[in-house]
Amino acid sequence: MKAVKILERLLAALPLTFGVAIVVFFFIRLTPGDPVDIMMGQGGAVSEGEMQQLRQEFHLDEPLLAQLGLFLGDAVRGDLGYSYILKRPVTTLISERLPATIELAAGALLISLVIAFPVGILSAVRQNSLADRMSMAAAFLGISMPGFWLGIILILLFSVRLNLLPVQGRIGVDAHLQQITGFFVIDSLLTGNRIALASSLRHLVLPSITLGAPVAAVVARVLRSSMLETLRSDYVILARSKGAPESIVVLKHALRNALISTVTVVGLQVGILLGGNMIIETVFSWPGLGRMVVDAIFNRDFPLIQGSVMVYALTFVVANLIVDVLYTYLNPRISL
Amino acid sequence: MGNRVLLELRNLTTVFPARRGEVRAVDGVQLTLTEGEIVGIVGESGCGKSTALLSIMRLVRPPGRIAGGRVLFRGRDLRSLPDSEMRAVRGKEIAMIFQDPLSTLNPAFPVGEQIRESLRLHHIVPGPGLPWPLDRARRHGEKERVLAVMKEVGIPSPMDRYAAYPHQFSGGMQQRALIAIGLVCGPALLLADEPTTALDVTIQAQILDLMRHINKEHGTAIMLVTHDLGLAAEFCSRIAVMYAGRIVEQGTVDQVVDNPQHPYTQGLLDCRPRISMRQLRVQPIPGNVPDLATLPAGCAFAPRCAYRQAVCEDGPVPMVAVEADHLSRCLLHNQFQRKAQWDWLDSVGVES
Amino acid sequence: MEIAPEALTPFQRQRYLWRLRLRLLRRNSLDFVRQLGAHPLPLLSGIVIVVYLLAAILAPQITAHDPTRGNLRLRLDPPAWEEGGGWSYPLGTDSQGRDLLTRIIYGARVSLLVGLLSVGISVIIGLLTGTLAGYFRGRFDSLISRFADLLLAFPFLIFAIGVMAFLGPGFANLVLALTFKGWVEFFRLVRGEMLAEKTQEYVEAARATGQSHLAIITSEILPNIIQSVFVLGTLRMGYMIIMEASLSFLGLGIPPRIPAWGSMVAEGRDYMLVAWWVSTFPGLAIVVLVLAINLFGEGLRDILDPRLKIEA
Repeated sequence: MKAVKILERLLAALPLTFGVAIVVFFFIRLTPGDPVDIMMGQGGAVSEGEMQQLRQEFHLDEPLLAQLGLFLGDAVRGDLGYSYILKRPVTTLISERLPATIELAAGALLISLVIAFPVGILSAVRQNSLADRMSMAAAFLGISMPGFWLGIILILLFSVRLNLLPVQGRIGVDAHLQQITGFFVIDSLLTGNRIALASSLRHLVLPSITLGAPVAAVVARVLRSSMLETLRSDYVILARSKGAPESIVVLKHALRNALISTVTVVGLQVGILLGGNMIIETVFSWPGLGRMVVDAIFNRDFPLIQGSVMVYALTFVVANLIVDVLYTYLNPRISL
Repeated sequence: MGNRVLLELRNLTTVFPARRGEVRAVDGVQLTLTEGEIVGIVGESGCGKSTALLSIMRLVRPPGRIAGGRVLFRGRDLRSLPDSEMRAVRGKEIAMIFQDPLSTLNPAFPVGEQIRESLRLHHIVPGPGLPWPLDRARRHGEKERVLAVMKEVGIPSPMDRYAAYPHQFSGGMQQRALIAIGLVCGPALLLADEPTTALDVTIQAQILDLMRHINKEHGTAIMLVTHDLGLAAEFCSRIAVMYAGRIVEQGTVDQVVDNPQHPYTQGLLDCRPRISMRQLRVQPIPGNVPDLATLPAGCAFAPRCAYRQAVCEDGPVPMVAVEADHLSRCLLHNQFQRKAQWDWLDSVGVES
Repeated sequence: MEIAPEALTPFQRQRYLWRLRLRLLRRNSLDFVRQLGAHPLPLLSGIVIVVYLLAAILAPQITAHDPTRGNLRLRLDPPAWEEGGGWSYPLGTDSQGRDLLTRIIYGARVSLLVGLLSVGISVIIGLLTGTLAGYFRGRFDSLISRFADLLLAFPFLIFAIGVMAFLGPGFANLVLALTFKGWVEFFRLVRGEMLAEKTQEYVEAARATGQSHLAIITSEILPNIIQSVFVLGTLRMGYMIIMEASLSFLGLGIPPRIPAWGSMVAEGRDYMLVAWWVSTFPGLAIVVLVLAINLFGEGLRDILDPRLKIEA
């Protein structure tokens, strides 16, 4: 029953993704700036004839609707076209870059939740204590700080000053990792490459913290305020009157209900993770999707922008779906 | 059973910090409950009756705290128990039923599981303490017991209802579930805080019947807190009337209802609508429930009392035994017999 | 005793109402100032904001250096307290030998202006659309609410990046991109309050005395919701400034020749290993300003409208 509904929602996401792609298609083509000019501007002097030939090759000389038709026709078959600049299939480029982005996002989400949950819960239980005030001040700082600056400060501190962690990139050159899935942490575990594992984890630490900090701040604040609410509720008194110890009262009865509103907020943070990854990947020269999109925007690399935006849209929809499923699981009063 | 004392409140005092000093929500309450007895605490909202129940369970919400007195349960002072031993008392020996079942049941867990939790917490069903997936035998035994209790409190087809969530229950069923939670460990004392206030009149009667049944069947003593003197009169064997944190009158139902001694009890009886009476006029008590933060030095009821005298405001008024087991906190009893006093007051023309 | 407003002519009534309102405002602001005394943090952050504003306005008077032209011989000079630094360049110089402090002061102009303009325009649009939708309902409401929900589904930064990629860098484009999505929250706030206030008795009473819709909206309802809008506006301001800085950091915001904090941090990133100060100080300027604005906003909310569920 539930599985069917989830599948339905997933299928409904596909037309939406295409809708986004069509909107993006028109938007970027209405933008001033000719991609071939930009391409050639980098390459040096090229004759007018050769430029014409390039335009033909990329179908840029055809009317807009014809271009759209070509694009959609290919996209249905899983072909998102060729990058103008990188001269390789967009699908290949995306699938190369995607694992890096997912690995970073997962690291960020993990770190932020690992920080936010204990902090949010303890702050609520010990409301107005010194620890509560300190962590809420830190959370306030977290939402008031631009991610790119936090990243640079962390690099300056941990990489430049203390020389503890690498400045940028995903893995050290000496790791010699054999790639299987593209997720470096998983690959190094699969191949039993300890050097690569240590190296990739060390490279993950700072970007994950940077990307996760605002998420941790928001989640900790929301969790604290909803825990304060649930801790005051009648069912907490009932749990205590049953003779339940505080650990069960807090972690089972109060937390379970506080999670309902927290999950919604965590879902909204997916947007921050997606947007933030463009910036954080730039700061840490992380070879992911976000960095590639920013470059593609500067280079007017139409097919690459289109393809990446579709991936973003799909990710966003799927993330929201996961949140919805979690929400209905947590809140028995709501059904999918 | 018999006349063995189950619970004895001695000078119980619970305070809440306020802007100026402390508010005494429960102020020197003395009350005794024998095994299997049903006692009612009656008073207007805000008179401290619910706080008194929470004080017994040591569940007063901070910043409120129990400031003094003793809570003797089977001779043990609950106030001096370590937290872990107090937890062993809660739910197992003393259980509590609350006013609003919908907000009291946890919306996130199935009703059956919420009943089962008490069993698990107190290790009622014996079995090896294995972690969750491996404890099937014990879980099974617990579920059997839960289903039996659900059936006893009148939840139809408990098998189907076990996995249902609170919001899928009607108000009456929710209250039954709440009673099942209280009952499942077989406590000696049930503290019921306005258990029928949120319910329809017909459902109220059913719930009261159920509680009476429990009292008879299991010998569970019940302390019922209500604002409804009529309900208490119908249900309890003894009644304590509370006003502004203090018990102002207590005695058997007959004593309190047929022969009320304290002017406040009088007022409560007068403002009860009675259809049987020819005259349907309801006599409200003048004035409002006092602000506990600014109580007068003397009798708290004095500002609203028709028989107020200057001495009433001078200092604390003691409880006086007007007959055997019948106590009242009013200065009128000290000097004369009540009847004579009132006649006298009438003759000199005191405005009433 | 107060006079019953119904007994007055419309003109007298208006005058009477305004007098009441002014009295209320005076009492509220007195309250507010008094409360600020009891809440040192919002007061302190208010002072910080004023300092930033003054610095932005008086930039040419404060600093003698040129924010755009530097001396390449003095490039990447460290701050005054570091070895090799000097007090003529208190926070050091950047890669083109420009005084960092000067550029930070001038950068305040961009951030504050973008923040004020994008929030200001968002507030105006939100008030207009929210009022129309919430007060009159109808097709306009359902249409614009649908559109607002759609916009809300996009992550703000991705949306802004997209719009900026489309429009190209520039001051006006930046304000446009931020406003394009920024108005939605004000719309939702105003619409919600309108819906709630409309059913209040005082509005019905005003209707019964034959006041026009416009009069009711401007003189009865708006004064009641303007505080909430003000609080939300303050809290959104910090967010807009971060957005502006993020876009400028990516090179999608303010054109590089105008000093903006975001692009300064981006520039400093290239010299991270040799000159930590170049990206540290502009970023610090952002953090302190945004922190002050958020603290001020939350203080404002706690004092003016504690029931409001708005977070920074």
